[in-house]
Amino acid sequence: MNLLIISKWELRRTGLYFGKRILILSALILILIGLVSLFVSQNGLHINDNIYKIVVTDPAIAEVLMTDDKFNVYIAKNTEAIELFKYRDFDILITENNISYHSSERSIAALDALDKAIIRYDEARLLSYNDLNNTFPVWITVENIERQQVFQAPALQLPGFEKSQDNTDNSIPLEVTISEKPGKETASYSSIKEMTGTNKLSPVEDQVLSTPSHFNPPFPFKSVVLSFLFIFPIFFIAQLFSSSIMEERIRRKGELLLVSPLGSYKIVLGKLLPYLLISLVMMTGIIINIKGNALMLIIMLPVILMFLSTAFLGAIIARSYKELSFVLIFMSVLLSGYIFFPAMFVSIHAISIISPVTLIVMLLEGEQVSITDYLFSTMPFYLVSTLGFIFGIFIYREEDLFTQKTIRNKLVDSVHEFIKRTPAPLFFLSMALLPVAFSIQLMLIVLMFNLQIKTGVVIFIIFAALIEEVVKSAGIYTIFSRKLSDASIRNALKFGILSGTGFFVGEKLLLLIVVSSIAGSVFGSAMGIGLLVFPLLLHITSTTAASLSLRSRNYLFSIILATTIHSAYNLYLVRSVIFG
Amino acid sequence: MGKTLVISKKEAGSLLNEKTLVLALIIQLMIASLSSLLVMGLASFFDPQALDKYDLRQSKIGIIGEGDLNNFLEKSRIRQYHYPSLSLALDDFNRHRIDAIIVIPEARPSGNEIIEIMLYLPKSDIKGTIATVQLKKPFEEFEGYVRDIRGKRIGFEPVKLYVDDIPRKTSTYFEFIYGVLIPLLVFTPVFISGGLIIDMLTEEYERKTMDLLRVSPVSFPEILNGKMLTSIIIVPLQAFLWLTLVSLNRVAIYNITLILLLVSIIAVIVVMIGAIIAISYKKRIISQYIYSLILILLFLLGYLFADSPFNLATRLSSGAMGMESLTYFGLYAALIIPFYMYLNKIRAI
Repeated sequence: MNLLIISKWELRRTGLYFGKRILILSALILILIGLVSLFVSQNGLHINDNIYKIVVTDPAIAEVLMTDDKFNVYIAKNTEAIELFKYRDFDILITENNISYHSSERSIAALDALDKAIIRYDEARLLSYNDLNNTFPVWITVENIERQQVFQAPALQLPGFEKSQDNTDNSIPLEVTISEKPGKETASYSSIKEMTGTNKLSPVEDQVLSTPSHFNPPFPFKSVVLSFLFIFPIFFIAQLFSSSIMEERIRRKGELLLVSPLGSYKIVLGKLLPYLLISLVMMTGIIINIKGNALMLIIMLPVILMFLSTAFLGAIIARSYKELSFVLIFMSVLLSGYIFFPAMFVSIHAISIISPVTLIVMLLEGEQVSITDYLFSTMPFYLVSTLGFIFGIFIYREEDLFTQKTIRNKLVDSVHEFIKRTPAPLFFLSMALLPVAFSIQLMLIVLMFNLQIKTGVVIFIIFAALIEEVVKSAGIYTIFSRKLSDASIRNALKFGILSGTGFFVGEKLLLLIVVSSIAGSVFGSAMGIGLLVFPLLLHITSTTAASLSLRSRNYLFSIILATTIHSAYNLYLVRSVIFG
Repeated sequence: MGKTLVISKKEAGSLLNEKTLVLALIIQLMIASLSSLLVMGLASFFDPQALDKYDLRQSKIGIIGEGDLNNFLEKSRIRQYHYPSLSLALDDFNRHRIDAIIVIPEARPSGNEIIEIMLYLPKSDIKGTIATVQLKKPFEEFEGYVRDIRGKRIGFEPVKLYVDDIPRKTSTYFEFIYGVLIPLLVFTPVFISGGLIIDMLTEEYERKTMDLLRVSPVSFPEILNGKMLTSIIIVPLQAFLWLTLVSLNRVAIYNITLILLLVSIIAVIVVMIGAIIAISYKKRIISQYIYSLILILLFLLGYLFADSPFNLATRLSSGAMGMESLTYFGLYAALIIPFYMYLNKIRAI
């Protein structure tokens, strides 16, 4: 109940700032934004206007080119045109029907743009004939068929692959549509033909029809833009939430609440609640507006939590408004990247499922989202945001809120709290921090997507090892730097083993819950008992190395040492991929 | 003036002192470069010629039926597998032996009916994307071929231009780098600085240190100018950093000085807007909210018309424009005056 009172206070306090004047002002700006975006959507974005300079001698061709804003077209007489092209930085010269170009990058790009502009111009004219059979004679019908993607070596063909057999059934009716055309053998299919008749009533999903010039890889541009609508209000609310918490710290207003008998977790949850509810209400509004699916709300929940959690943690660790701004900008860039980039690959690659926004895009595109998809893409969000809140609440106390401690010091403080409050802290700490490492690693996979596979794998392995080692040694660093126990060799060994084992157990648990649900039995059987021993030894060895070196050396050195051991082992494992 | 510089130095010092700011900038830099890489990869999906840069493996495509399309497929980069029936092809498709299936219809180019090509692709699979990209060209060539035959019937005369030898060409990269990436990179610091001045001012108000500063020998206009100076000066510095990094990536950047001048002019305007907001509302929570809204508006406005700051940056950096841009600079610089006058009016209070 006390929690609700705090919520009410928080709501009233922030609400007071938003007086009538502010509301009217923001409404005005919003209307202007609406008008401008309407204008932009009708007139197109003026992104590359006048980027190419072309000189022509034939006014008729100039007219064709002027249909495209990219060209800065200049009409001149023959000799003057040639002179302009030679000495005045024009990209392309068209004398009569002959094109000349420079060998510069811009000139060659202009040539391509010219090519595209003419195709577009011709197609527009062709359309006006209103005679499809003679103007657009070729059409391509694309049928997308579900097929199991190979994540591993083909030798591991296990019962999990039965699914692909079912899909053949799905496609049989479509086969018949083709065999109906004369000249094909029809006898054997006659019975299925009747089936097609009934099937025709239901619209065939995943069928796309296009002419060759519009035949492009699938990219759900509209849905991605639409899904951005969802994230947008969350940015604002997260900003308000962090501002509110930071303001209390700067004006030293929160001190009174802290001495009240309420636990700090109640104060934080009480403050969080209004922002969470407002976000959910806004999401519901958007969903109703775009006639979306109620499932979208459940998909957005972990995303909202994630943004609020980072906003909270940022507001706790920052020393000034400036620092808060930068921490938040950084976190939002990171999160948006994590959320949006995979979504763009939604119909291109299965890895896109790591982002909840992908699920939104899928729903918008009329596709099904399964419970395993949901768990896979939202689990890291739930776990990491919960951790963010827990570690933030640990340092939601006077000595951290109202002093100018450095960010690192505050983070160590919260780890220190964790160690004080949990039995076998090192074991559970590396287990608890695992989702953070897991999420960053997922993000890395996305970022590596565009690199060459070999370079990508190597960079990924090194960074992944680095993150895991940071996570595993965080507790040990805290213990040694805070002098919670002596830095004896015996202790260092013990801590390394505990922390490494904890990470290992957590990793395997996560794999069981999350990964096995998506990869079916393939992963399960690949993880034989024999295979389990080495990762365990690896995690222990690398962390113990870090732990031992932490006794005398600085943190950076120890992390690099552990990362080297860790990535060397992993690189050895995948040597066949890298070295062919 | 001297006191303005003192304040300005103090602010710059505190920006550097909170090392996280520097760190955050570096990390932003990393992310921007990585994400641009990703977006470029994405852009290339829409431009098969751009993908030729990568050594993509040839798609394995199952073909059923005979027709003129075969001639064009043979010339293309795909590997062909002929099947007598669709069910056999689908078997191989499901066993990952082929990546796509084309069914060539009976319709002939000389005929009158539409030629409907059936194409089966694996769903949500990068292999399908590659097959699409590699099939686009033969399909287009085939369409052109059929059009040449059929277009004559309706008296269609295509626009024909001739070029001696055609280079490997693509405009996607060029237009993405200069049209989207560079304007975004050089104007991000502008938008950040607008938020920065709000943070600097509201923090003084909320910590109640502004009153202390006011009774010191430094006047309020001097304090304000000092803070604004720091926020503005860091903009061309960051923009220069971005541009240098892009050039290191072997992208030629023209007119660097002019671009830096342009971002500085815009930075003056945006920082003044930020200062006006902060002085009017004094609370960060409100100021940042209003500023974010205005930022969206400014961002959209930047794409609204040709000769906008974004577009000028595009043309300057690609070398499509030079000194003639100074006219526009003058126009934008003139905008500073009304903002400065308004700022003068409210800071007197």
